[in-house]
Amino acid sequence: MVLVMAIGDLHIPHRALEFPTKFKSMLVPGKIQHIICTGNLCIKEVHDYLKSLTPNLHITRGEYDEDARYPEIETLTIEQFKLGLSHGHQVVPWGDFDSLAMVQRQLDVDILVSGHSHRFMVYKHEMGMVINPGSATGSYSSMTYDVNPSIVLMDIDGLRVVVYVYELVDGEVKVEKIDFKKTSTTT
Amino acid sequence: MSPATKTLPESSLSTRSSPERDDLDNNRRFWDLRGVQWRTDLGVLPSSSSVDDVRRVTANSRRSYAALRRRLLIDPLIPKDGSNFPDLTMDNPLSQDPDSMWGRFFQKAELEKMVDQDLSRLYPEHGSYFQTPGCQAMLRRILLLWCIRHPNYGYRQGMHELLAPLLFVLQADVERLSAVQKLYEHYFTDNFDGLSFHETDSAYKSNLKQISQHIEDDSGIQENQVMANNLEELDPKIQTIISFSDAYGAEGELGIVLSERFMEHDAYCMFDALMNGAGGAVAMANFFSPSPLNGPQNGLPPVIEASSVLYHLLAVVDSSLYTHLVELGVEPQYFALRWLRVLYGREFALGDLLVIWDEIFSFDNHRLDGVSENDPEISFGGLNSSRGAFIAALAVSMILYIRSSILATETATSCLQRLLNFPNDVNLGKLVKKANSLVALAIKAMRSMLPTMHSDGVSERSKLAVSRGHSLSLDISASGTGTPISLVRDSYWEEKWRVLHKEEEEKQTTSRKQVENRPKGWSEKVKSPLLRTESDPSSSKVYHEKAGPSRPHVRRNLLDDLARQLGLEEEIENSVSEDDSTKRSLSGNGGSEGNSSIFSEPPTPTGGDANDNDHENDTERSSVASNLSVEENDPEPCPAVESCSATIPEVSLPLPVSDTPKAAPLPLVQNEDSIQKLGSNLKERISLSGKFQWFWKFGKNGGEGSVEKGGDVPDSKESSSIVGRDQKGETAASATDVKSVNQNTTCSLKNLGESMVENLEVIESVIQQEKGETGSKKAMLVDRGQMTAMAALKELRKISNILSEM
Repeated sequence: MVLVMAIGDLHIPHRALEFPTKFKSMLVPGKIQHIICTGNLCIKEVHDYLKSLTPNLHITRGEYDEDARYPEIETLTIEQFKLGLSHGHQVVPWGDFDSLAMVQRQLDVDILVSGHSHRFMVYKHEMGMVINPGSATGSYSSMTYDVNPSIVLMDIDGLRVVVYVYELVDGEVKVEKIDFKKTSTTT
Repeated sequence: MSPATKTLPESSLSTRSSPERDDLDNNRRFWDLRGVQWRTDLGVLPSSSSVDDVRRVTANSRRSYAALRRRLLIDPLIPKDGSNFPDLTMDNPLSQDPDSMWGRFFQKAELEKMVDQDLSRLYPEHGSYFQTPGCQAMLRRILLLWCIRHPNYGYRQGMHELLAPLLFVLQADVERLSAVQKLYEHYFTDNFDGLSFHETDSAYKSNLKQISQHIEDDSGIQENQVMANNLEELDPKIQTIISFSDAYGAEGELGIVLSERFMEHDAYCMFDALMNGAGGAVAMANFFSPSPLNGPQNGLPPVIEASSVLYHLLAVVDSSLYTHLVELGVEPQYFALRWLRVLYGREFALGDLLVIWDEIFSFDNHRLDGVSENDPEISFGGLNSSRGAFIAALAVSMILYIRSSILATETATSCLQRLLNFPNDVNLGKLVKKANSLVALAIKAMRSMLPTMHSDGVSERSKLAVSRGHSLSLDISASGTGTPISLVRDSYWEEKWRVLHKEEEEKQTTSRKQVENRPKGWSEKVKSPLLRTESDPSSSKVYHEKAGPSRPHVRRNLLDDLARQLGLEEEIENSVSEDDSTKRSLSGNGGSEGNSSIFSEPPTPTGGDANDNDHENDTERSSVASNLSVEENDPEPCPAVESCSATIPEVSLPLPVSDTPKAAPLPLVQNEDSIQKLGSNLKERISLSGKFQWFWKFGKNGGEGSVEKGGDVPDSKESSSIVGRDQKGETAASATDVKSVNQNTTCSLKNLGESMVENLEVIESVIQQEKGETGSKKAMLVDRGQMTAMAALKELRKISNILSEM
């Protein structure tokens, strides 16, 4: 029952002013155990805010991040799942399935979380899962039109992960749920 | 999972001394099976003697717990059958909706965190049992389920300490069962044909050798059979154990009363019964709830009320200790909160605690008659059952146990230290025996609290002051009925002294009345909201306000005391001065005893005298005095007359002082003897009657010759209160004669007359009320009082007429 939030591409303060209030009201400290952030926050204040939600914060560096000390790639293990984290601008062509699959194989992770395209996507690929949490603020992207703010919450429980997607459509929060089960345990 | 110290003193169940407990012995069939005994006492198991009934109830309670557990400890991840698609907007993990599955999940997680905090610190000295993961898991589940089931209470620290001993005794029972099982193996194993179960399993693979071996053990078999037949001849205790744990009895395995598998279920049922009171009065959950029992406006949190009941009982039993505690400012809930919430679990070692709880649970928990819950202002914090009375009695007995060390303390902190660090090596038997002896007294004390307790409804502070005052009045009523003779005797001397003392003081003061008039009125008005008031139809004038409300109360006490005093000797030829009455009335000023005590303080600043103490303490308790003081204060607005003024300064003297927020217990400091207090109270009244006689001696209004002198004490009482005023008028008159300031005299006298008329009305109303009173234990006395009051009224009328003529 570990709750992991995947979030990214906020682009505060350059392309967006602040975190959407509807999302903010949902995020109560203490509920979420991990936050994995693909990058492009961009400033320290956002980092601090996320840190206030949970001490377990994992960030990778996006191309606009002001803090240069974030790593490019990060991997972590939560329960039975191995998660890989990267911003995605390093993977060329941007958002290409096969390239991302290559990264996933390279990192040897079950779930790869990457962003940059500002478009929410979750799909199963080969033996694992790729999650793109989209942009939490719905900021502009040259690749995607009509970006809606979205965040992803993963409920990891043993061999099973349930992915909840919160999307802000026309001012209302819409929730979607996707189940994913791993067939074998991590060695 | 064996407990580190297995202290189950078989003979620890103390001998009961009080008669009403004898019939309980019949129900204590399970002397060594504490778990079963407690379950019966708490109402989980029926007290019927049929084993089948017991087993059936056990089984049902276990079923309900299992269902509860399945329902409430749900895992949100388990997919709900697919048929009902949860509304994702509500049921997502980040949802703020508290009703969502996730919301409940997080609430449960919060509760669990709190529970775990407490459980990790539970009974570390018995850690080998309580700190094992299995036991902790059970405790956690039980507490969580109970708290989820009762969301209005939530989880409070202390609940785990109530639960732990329950689980412990169940475990002890199970261990006893296994010990018995070892001894009487053959009763528990399915032994047919001398072959045990495992052997009959392979019956098909007939092994001749095996069978022949068994046949050779003929003697053994026969022995077994013989012993099996003699089940009925066994020790009845063993019999009970065996029949309770027979897997073939009613309800099969679920009905095995002593079962390890269902320990959690049983513990939950016991805990639930303990918290809810099982329909009785003492429900431990009340001690954890902040809201008053009888509705949000009407009372204090139950634990505070229960602590005050405790203090009342202590005041009855040992008032010197009580006053010492009150004087130090030690409110009962400082220590009683912990005592009550955990039922003394923190004060005693586990073994001792089991004995204590044996006693507590053996008391019946039904609400006592005559201690009604209908009165919206009294609830005793849920202690109004004999079990509650025993709990209070035990607390008092514990306080008495460390009496000397408490009396030696000088500050509240050190006192609390002594109370909260109860000595470890206590003579339990003595403690319990003392508590048993106090139970009847506790019940009586609670019953007598009813008619005198009224809530001001003004403020918490006044309620507390009132409740403290209540305790004082309780003291009067409780001890008064017990020892009337000695009280009367004391009061006589007290009155005498006061009379003399007042004469002295009268000579001293002359000129201060002017100054003190003003503050007098102001302080009076300040005091009025703090007065305990009964319905008073006659109070109309502002400056009589105070007099009015307190008058009926005073009258009632007057009558009661009068009735008590009927045996008194009547020749009290006190040369009573008006100052005497004034002063006394002054000291008694204020319906709340605390205030009156403050009044009494200043007039006797020396305070070293025993009489002084009595006087003050007495006055603080006697509303008689208070009334008098009021009445006498009121009719004295005219300053000119010296004699009048002489009285006034005394009247007003204590008033400014009383305004300072002196602690009500101050006068209590000087009083160590409750009997003395009451005695002085009565002494006052006797002095009043003396004054009355003196008044008639003056005989200016000779027409009142019909008025009895000392012989009619009630009359004199009644009229003496008013006579006090009259006396003032009389002395004023004499003074004016001497000083020829007639105008002032008449002015004051006229005022006297007016106030007298008011007083009359008040008396009448009081008498009406008293006639309507039912269930008062002073009914008989009141009747007499009524008659005398009527007579007194007539006299008063005459007096007032005369005065007004003057």
